[in-house]
Amino acid sequence: MNYTMVKTLILKDWYLQRWAILASLVGTMATLGIIASGGNVAFLLGLILLIMVIISIGAQLSVSTIVAERKEQTLPFVMSLPISYWEYTTSKIWGNLIIFLVPWLTMVVGSVALLLYVPKAHGLIPYTCIMATEILMTTCLILATAVITESQGWTVATIMVGNLAVNGIGYAVAHIPGIARGMWGSKIAWSPAASVVLLAEITMTTLLLGVAFFVQSRKKDFL
Amino acid sequence: MNNLSVHFEGVSKVYPHFTLDNISLELPTGTIMGLIGANGAGKSTTIRILMGLVHQDQGRVHVLGREMPQQQAAAKLDIGFVSEDMRLYGTATLAWHLKFVRSIYPQWDQPYAETLLRRFDLKPEQKIKGLSHGQRVKAALLLSLARRPRLLVLDEPTTGLDPVARQEVLGELMAVLADEDRTILFSSHNTLDVEQISDQITFIDRGRIIASDDKEIFLDRWRRLRLVLSPEAELPRLPGIVEVSGSGHLPVLVTNNFEPALLSACSDAGATVQAVDPMTLEEIFVANVHSRREKQIV
Repeated sequence: MNYTMVKTLILKDWYLQRWAILASLVGTMATLGIIASGGNVAFLLGLILLIMVIISIGAQLSVSTIVAERKEQTLPFVMSLPISYWEYTTSKIWGNLIIFLVPWLTMVVGSVALLLYVPKAHGLIPYTCIMATEILMTTCLILATAVITESQGWTVATIMVGNLAVNGIGYAVAHIPGIARGMWGSKIAWSPAASVVLLAEITMTTLLLGVAFFVQSRKKDFL
Repeated sequence: MNNLSVHFEGVSKVYPHFTLDNISLELPTGTIMGLIGANGAGKSTTIRILMGLVHQDQGRVHVLGREMPQQQAAAKLDIGFVSEDMRLYGTATLAWHLKFVRSIYPQWDQPYAETLLRRFDLKPEQKIKGLSHGQRVKAALLLSLARRPRLLVLDEPTTGLDPVARQEVLGELMAVLADEDRTILFSSHNTLDVEQISDQITFIDRGRIIASDDKEIFLDRWRRLRLVLSPEAELPRLPGIVEVSGSGHLPVLVTNNFEPALLSACSDAGATVQAVDPMTLEEIFVANVHSRREKQIV
């Protein structure tokens, strides 16, 4: 593995996506600001916006750095460079993850800081961590689909399914008794149920990335 | 093997509706090979296999002494590749592309890159999306040439170019040929372009190589003979005739193995040779394809 080339390709995507990264940071900060402004309506509105912004960033990254590379025919240029397809795949997966982690970590740190600031909302922290990981998992699902299929149709379909899944899983998790009990309390209560859900999400995220690498390693045609 | 830049041995690739069938090809270092074929003949598939971007189902491929596709990353360090379907990043400037490619290739030749910028009349600060098709092709060619590759692979680079841009691109390629260690594989369905710069020609049709030889040998051996037969005479059976056309007493023969003895054989058989015409590469290619396809049908 030529790590120098992988790094060069990641920096290339970082440069080409610099405005999207900046916009995502501004969007994340703005929605955190809405949440922090106080009031139930602002809290709910801000939360919905925050989830939308973060999912959109992950989806936009996959579409513009992977699907568009084939659609806009820049893939032959990249593949003419001294890299193997394995290095290309590695750069795409790690590059997208690193870029995504910038707004995602901003969201996680900002949300947890806001919740810690309000003593009576401490109970929401486990649920927030679960939902943040769920968004990361959805982004990895979109990323894996984009890397494997390089198809706009499949990627857009996965974005839609992922969006619906975040809402559905969010609702379902909020109704798991072990999690629901401590959600509205003033103490951080890490129940076994919350730990199991979080672990399942992390496992699934790892599995999705593993599948993407595995499928790519078996591909025979790259153009 | 050491003096071969490209070596294909029995390479096959099967798709649902197309098969690249048992391709064997040798490209000695320092030669310029023109790969000629109709659209869909298998030129791009051959080149993609050469670049390691498509894995062959059978056979072995060596490029610059590296086994493909396993050692493609090392091989591509010495390959310049430009294809008709290759695009640069529209939102980035040419200057960014130059800096990006320069950071990858230690052998990057900056003075040569600047010479090419002037020769192609390209502005580094211009965004790629603002360039015309001709300028984009020139930009891609510049990025390939300035890395000083040992092997230059060009897949239909002149397609869609206006005559002026085409001549500029071909002119620069001819200048590059001055370097005797540089090997070039140039694919096109435009035989005129290939004829200008190549010294070896390979014809490919329906996934098979149908002929491969020195350009001069093709041009020397292929001739069109216009005969006049007397009313009672029949067209003689002559060796090396691949195509017969024309009317009954004014046949036109195409041979792929012209020798002066053929003229004597015609006279001996009672036919008058009215004209012996040299053929262009395009005519040779078309005649070659037709004769092979007819043999396949028979």
